[in-house]
Amino acid sequence: MSSYNGRLIRLNLNTGKSRVEEIPRQWMKDYLGGRGIGVKYLYEELKPGVEPLSPENKVILMMGPLGATTAMSVSRMALVTKSPLTGAVAKSVMGGSFGAFLKFAGFDGIIVEGESKKPVYLHIDKDGIHLLDAAELWGLDTRQTHQKLRDKHGKSTQVACIGPAGEKLVRYAVLISDLRVGGRTGVGTVLGAKKIKAFAVNSSGPLSLYDPDGFKKLAKEIIEGLKTSPGRMKMSDFGTSYLTLSLEKDGIFPVKNFQEGHLEGIEKIGDEALASIKTKNDGCYGCMTKCGQVREIKGGTYDGAVSEGPDYETIWSLGGNLANTDIGALIAADSLCDRLGIDTVSAGNSIGFAYELYQRGIITKKDTDGLELKWGDPAPMMTLLEKIGNRQGFGKLLGEGTKRAAEQIGKGAQDYAMQVKGLELPAYEPRAVKGYGLILATSNIGASHMYGRARDELAGKKDKLTEVDKGQDAASAEILQATQDTVIQCSFSPVTGFNAQQRSELLVAATGFEEFADPAYLDKVGERILCLERCFNVREGFNRKDDTLPKRMRTEPLANAGPATGQVFKNLDGLLDEYYDVLGYTRQGIPSEAKLKELGLESVVADIKKYSK
Amino acid sequence: MPPILQEFSGGVETLEASGRTVGECLEELEEQFPGIKEVLLDRQGKLLRAFGIYLNNDGLHPVELDTPVRDGDEIVILNFLMGG
Repeated sequence: MSSYNGRLIRLNLNTGKSRVEEIPRQWMKDYLGGRGIGVKYLYEELKPGVEPLSPENKVILMMGPLGATTAMSVSRMALVTKSPLTGAVAKSVMGGSFGAFLKFAGFDGIIVEGESKKPVYLHIDKDGIHLLDAAELWGLDTRQTHQKLRDKHGKSTQVACIGPAGEKLVRYAVLISDLRVGGRTGVGTVLGAKKIKAFAVNSSGPLSLYDPDGFKKLAKEIIEGLKTSPGRMKMSDFGTSYLTLSLEKDGIFPVKNFQEGHLEGIEKIGDEALASIKTKNDGCYGCMTKCGQVREIKGGTYDGAVSEGPDYETIWSLGGNLANTDIGALIAADSLCDRLGIDTVSAGNSIGFAYELYQRGIITKKDTDGLELKWGDPAPMMTLLEKIGNRQGFGKLLGEGTKRAAEQIGKGAQDYAMQVKGLELPAYEPRAVKGYGLILATSNIGASHMYGRARDELAGKKDKLTEVDKGQDAASAEILQATQDTVIQCSFSPVTGFNAQQRSELLVAATGFEEFADPAYLDKVGERILCLERCFNVREGFNRKDDTLPKRMRTEPLANAGPATGQVFKNLDGLLDEYYDVLGYTRQGIPSEAKLKELGLESVVADIKKYSK
Repeated sequence: MPPILQEFSGGVETLEASGRTVGECLEELEEQFPGIKEVLLDRQGKLLRAFGIYLNNDGLHPVELDTPVRDGDEIVILNFLMGG
């Protein structure tokens, strides 16, 4: 008995047929689950050069071995594909409950391939796996889609769906399950191209465990220890909004498309202000922290707006990045993004890019459908979000992401596109926290805050502004994130979940795989995943030239940013050398043959050899 | 003292301070090690939510700085800045 179901659903949308297949047992040991097994499938099954929005691309939804158990913060689901924004490997990890119930239904994952001729959705229940017509769902927003599916299949139906943005191929569309979102990098876009609107599951378990009594005892001990954990309670009370004021004081919170680091009036969208409009908590399956903050606006222009969030990232992207301190607009914009099914980070960043182009006269009202884009004015943002989500007018261009939009606009617009590998930067100013900047530069999915966190810098254990001795920390952070995304445990689990030793004990009790007892074995799994993702990208033509930061970070002194004022990212090359050396990559950023063999990736050596010059 | 404040105390983790309240103890520390308040407080002088202050293991939110202290009490400052 094991917490692995050991099987997944392979859905071929070309034929409309699905089949159940076994997951290779060795892959469970080598890649564990979630992101790891997802990336392994992607690497094995996708030929280099596949167009991300073509039927040849695949989307892999994959749970981890602890998913749906009674342990804390472990029922998240990994989404893996080739990104339509970056052309690189894409991963996102979604919270909520859908994944847990997929496991209760007897499956660890779903591989979606091909392309349907008409809109469809997948329904899984005790009677089997059904591919159903989605004509009635196509065009509905994500909340309406959830409601419609629950009206049809019952209130307890767990749903994950795309919104209109995914249908219309906005390049940063997401997958949404209730109030939780997955899909930085455009996973929802790929699903939209395949014309699959939603996944719905009705199931009730139970899930098997290798050592049920031992697992129950361990999980209970961990939960008891966490009940009074200050960090966990902080997350429960505020979510990640509590970071905003501190990071802004340190110049880390970017303002006006990374032009500066200070936002006048930030308190209006700070933790206390957001807590004052909180109505309840929301969270993932089996998590007592429930860090999601449901907030509601009463009165004013945005009366009645409700959203789960915004989290720190969205407080920035739809708030500070646009110098917007209108809390009503912030909640309404967050809600609108969720209903349309677009990534708040890429959307807010793309709009900030447009605001700056307007400020500099590179675009005018003629380009913006008559909108005056003025910092601090949220009204154009609301209009642009609608236009992006529905791919209308100027919004169609912004929905391509900043890299493509800048290429189309020309006139030097590229200098104001705050992206890496085509993925928009998140809410961390690289010039103010250099180790984080290195992670954003080297991330195989582009500039994501979810590819590793510079925790020692943020906690003050390491100097934020020096540009030496950061390669080891960045590599370790990325390996840790890969391991977490594979278990799958919440990224906040250092304070809301369990430590590495407890993780190992839980995994052994759940699966019976003794290898997992050694935390170092799991670190190696994380490193293997990171390396395989890099190999995927190398096959696509990525190398050192793509591990970079926007020109602004490397040439312009950061303005008005407290202790980081005047900072420039001067030694990215030196830090890249450090990072590559630590991970056993060549100075071109390509895994060496020796490293591939050390990680058990012998089968990849031949693929990569021709790029290792 | 969390690592971010030990920068001001020369790496010392545990210090003694006196005062009638937590806030007064912090004021004394600030005199000894200027810069601590700048890290802990927002522009309005309120404790930033990225930090938590605990008195003999009890969380003090939301009245951290006004909480009275007695001889021998232990004040612990925690830093929750870990990325969002």
